[in-house]
Amino acid sequence: MGMQAEKLEPLKVEAEKTNLLSELKRRKKALLFNKVMIWSLLAFLVVWSWIGTNFSLSFLYTGITNITVFIFTNLLPPDFSAIPRYINPALQTLYMSYVGMVISVVLSLFFGVMAAKNTSFHPALAFASRSVITFIRAVPAIIIGMIFVVALGLGPLAGTLALGIGGVGILGKAFADILEEIDKGQVEAIRATGASWFQIMGQGVWPQFKTGFVAWSLYKMDLNIREAAVLGIIGAGGIGYTLQGNINLFQYKQASVGILMIFALILIVEFTTAKIREKIL
Amino acid sequence: MSHIRNYKENQTKIIIGLLAFFFFVFSLFKIGIIDERILQAFSRAEHLVKGMFPPTLDEPIDIFGAAIQSLQVAVMGTFWGVIFSIALAVFAAKNLSPHISISYLVKGFAAFVRAVPALIWAILFIIAVGLGPTPGILALAVNSIGMLLKVYAEAIEEIDHGVIDAMRATGASKFQVIMQGIIPSIMTIFISWSVFRFDINLRYAAVLGVVGAGGIGWELVRASRVMAYDQVLGVTLVIFGMILAAEMITRYLQKRTDLVNVRASQ
Repeated sequence: MGMQAEKLEPLKVEAEKTNLLSELKRRKKALLFNKVMIWSLLAFLVVWSWIGTNFSLSFLYTGITNITVFIFTNLLPPDFSAIPRYINPALQTLYMSYVGMVISVVLSLFFGVMAAKNTSFHPALAFASRSVITFIRAVPAIIIGMIFVVALGLGPLAGTLALGIGGVGILGKAFADILEEIDKGQVEAIRATGASWFQIMGQGVWPQFKTGFVAWSLYKMDLNIREAAVLGIIGAGGIGYTLQGNINLFQYKQASVGILMIFALILIVEFTTAKIREKIL
Repeated sequence: MSHIRNYKENQTKIIIGLLAFFFFVFSLFKIGIIDERILQAFSRAEHLVKGMFPPTLDEPIDIFGAAIQSLQVAVMGTFWGVIFSIALAVFAAKNLSPHISISYLVKGFAAFVRAVPALIWAILFIIAVGLGPTPGILALAVNSIGMLLKVYAEAIEEIDHGVIDAMRATGASKFQVIMQGIIPSIMTIFISWSVFRFDINLRYAAVLGVVGAGGIGWELVRASRVMAYDQVLGVTLVIFGMILAAEMITRYLQKRTDLVNVRASQ
């Protein structure tokens, strides 16, 4: 009996080893297959786009040299006498992005609460709100701006509304996602006391929602200032409009002041929102 | 003590809230949102909406061709953005850079490039290299570098030093350290950020035509100039479909990869 056992054991281990080895090989194969598939798909995409856009490596070289030459001979040095003309549009951009942020926060609160499955009144309503948010998210703000320019005429009003409505795509999704991830226990506890919907929202949901709400709203302000800067290109008011005008008239040295102003505006707003975030949270 | 601090914190919150409110009202007046145009807006919007339905596509083949061109511009822009960002990230990351000043220089360059919006880069590149898809590709690539360079460099800086030290100790060259030690540990972060950047670039590519850089944005501008609102909506829907489809495909590939990885590591 003892001899038999000695004979059998190594065989068993041997069999397990080959099993493990084949299992490992199979798993490695699956990984490799996935990798090869994705990389070949990417390679195909790049080659297809390379041919489709008639791209050539020389464009990289000419592009980089041309833009460098353009920046150093045409854009620089900036003509700082143009600053007064840029002050008002820059402030307008600031106002536009701020009002746009407030509008999108208000709209997103509505759509976000309706889209989150746990705070919505009905699953169908949640689905409808999610669809609205997804649709807005997939349409760039500048396109919404173009439609508003057509509807309301040129000026900051169109840009502000475009920012406000375009923001629902990001903020609405963020709010809905945060709301869906809150701790149910706290909400249930408050519901058990017989609280109304508003009381549940105020006492159970809001304390958990606040941090994300503030952080995302301020982040939206950072995004808005960038978008507002270019909305002017389509005539929706702000600094982009003046910049586009300068570029159209080949006044590049004044245009570079505009670009520097946008740069400064973005830095100032990001600094301020960071400070406010620190203070509030 | 603690309730005095609480009181003070509450006070700053109230002050911030009041300032925010007053700034909002002030901005409303400055923008002129309280204007007779807002009253007219309803009749104009009604006119617009009536003109928009049903959405149509004038010469659908052209518009789908333009959509494909936008997609190709986004792919090429992301491709070059990723390549240049990887090359520059080696110099920007403090633990790989030959000298700390080079790291600051490259990071400063990235910060500047990032702060100038993509559409403005497109305008500048159109002036520099002319119309067509090339300025769009270059503008997207440059704007991507601003963002990707930063996140790649941060990813490299957060690598476990032990791995690199261990490789150095075996006598590996700088190239070998990068290929064997650094790339495997940052691959996931690189890929997720590059995919995210592609989503952003596709959105930009869709609107680059607004400034004349080709693609579907131009079709939109053309339709809105001749006030063909039904075409405006038609093109908008095509853009919507394009972006949504791309998002779904990338999400599917990510999910699939995750699934395969989980199955392989069980």
